[in-house]
Amino acid sequence: MSQSFDFLPTINNREATKLLPWVMAIMVYLSSLAATGSLLLNAGFEDWSSSLQGRITVQVTGDDSELIVVQSLEIQETLRDTPGIKSVQILSNDEISLLLEPWLGAGNITEDLPLPIMMDVMINEGAYINLGALESKIRQISDSVYLDDHAQWLSRFYDLASMVEYMSVGILLMILLVSVCIVIFATKSSMSEHKKTLEIMHLMGAQDKMVARTYQKRFMYYGLKGGVIGLVFSFLTVYGLLNLLQNLSEGFVEMPTLPYLKMYILLLIPALFSLLTMLAARITVLRALGRMV
Amino acid sequence: MVEFKNVSMSYEKGHEILKDISFKLEPGSMHFLTGPSGSGKTSLLKLIYLAQKPSCGKILMFGRDVAKAEREDLPALRRRIGVVFQDFRLLDHMSAVHNVALPLRIAGASLAEVSEHVEELLSWVGLGDKMNSNPTALSGGEKQRVAIARAVIRRPDILVADEPTGNVDPKMAERLMYLFVELNKLGTTIVIATHDDALVAKVGAPRLHLIGGKLLQLKGKKGDISMFIENEEISR
Repeated sequence: MSQSFDFLPTINNREATKLLPWVMAIMVYLSSLAATGSLLLNAGFEDWSSSLQGRITVQVTGDDSELIVVQSLEIQETLRDTPGIKSVQILSNDEISLLLEPWLGAGNITEDLPLPIMMDVMINEGAYINLGALESKIRQISDSVYLDDHAQWLSRFYDLASMVEYMSVGILLMILLVSVCIVIFATKSSMSEHKKTLEIMHLMGAQDKMVARTYQKRFMYYGLKGGVIGLVFSFLTVYGLLNLLQNLSEGFVEMPTLPYLKMYILLLIPALFSLLTMLAARITVLRALGRMV
Repeated sequence: MVEFKNVSMSYEKGHEILKDISFKLEPGSMHFLTGPSGSGKTSLLKLIYLAQKPSCGKILMFGRDVAKAEREDLPALRRRIGVVFQDFRLLDHMSAVHNVALPLRIAGASLAEVSEHVEELLSWVGLGDKMNSNPTALSGGEKQRVAIARAVIRRPDILVADEPTGNVDPKMAERLMYLFVELNKLGTTIVIATHDDALVAKVGAPRLHLIGGKLLQLKGKKGDISMFIENEEISR
């Protein structure tokens, strides 16, 4: 009794659900874009933050350029002697100019522009540095020294990253919710279109589960078909967009690399839509048939 | 086989269509259900083929009160009942073979398993050359025969037919009635709703007569229509 067969008409131009695969394709397309955007931003955040973690930037300023050079060398020695510090590198003027170039423009940094002395301090992995104590120590050498462990900036950065991720998940959930509503509407529409067939099946002793199986199979196919189409188009869009952004941002901001290993998650989106479509159709059919005698 | 005890029925909150109906159909019996339009014939048939539940009363079928049966038990009971609908209710997107095979497919058989049997039955009702035609390509009489073949393909315990000869010429009506009689001889309990008094008289099976939702019963004697008994008397 559990065997099912497709008793519904094959899809033709008059079928109410004919457009459903295309609706699903658009939904999967939007979901995949949201998920890819989230993955890409996540990868970017990881790249950028990992390059900042375990680093301290020390800045020595002052009007007397010769004095700050002497103070910087002394600070460098003090830092090198501090346990947990891996390396201390004083940035050359050229390197500092290069960092300022995106804001001031190439060739606009003249000799008379007072530049601070900057040090890139690398900390040993897992080492704990008491920044307050370190700052007090090197302030004995110069009053105009600033330590930046990027903690505040990174904290905001992480907040932004979390917000973007939550937004992506929210968008994804909204798309899923809308998709489920569309499937319920399409199922009801199809049931209304095939009311006569369903009544006959019911009166001949077809069990509700058998009828529901026919619907769920058909709707799963719609979901999968639309899902694959949507995913292919979203991949093409992402690929095109990345190429475009790469060209536009060349030399200004380093573009995050697409996390190909995590991209397999996107393959789950059509499967998820297909499963949701199937379940929504099944539940809708069972609920509707349950109202019959 | 089928026993109605003080059954009444109304749709939603409307007026009563059937009022205090009581009768008993013995296994293997054949009855006609007659009465003017609007008297409740189709509603009574719907109760027999389990498309509706009564407002009150008992309907005993297959040894149980189907009015109180659980919903999930009803499909198995429905599979023991064959129905010929007044408007045929064939599925237009399926060929005659597929339409007739439907009850067997619902019961779990594959088309390959049943096709020979289905084709044989279709040939027997004179549609051997129309097996692959869809209902839209068939005449009224042909549709009626497909509907009858579909109703009897599983050898149901009860066969219910609503105006099965209403859309066919007298010759075909007689032929179809012969089919019902033959099926009845094989042990199927048959209830046929009809307006065709001549046909009822010819077959001579007992008649259940409905007037305004109340039942009168004509005890079977070929051609005799003078033996109506009030419903109250039957229940005594």
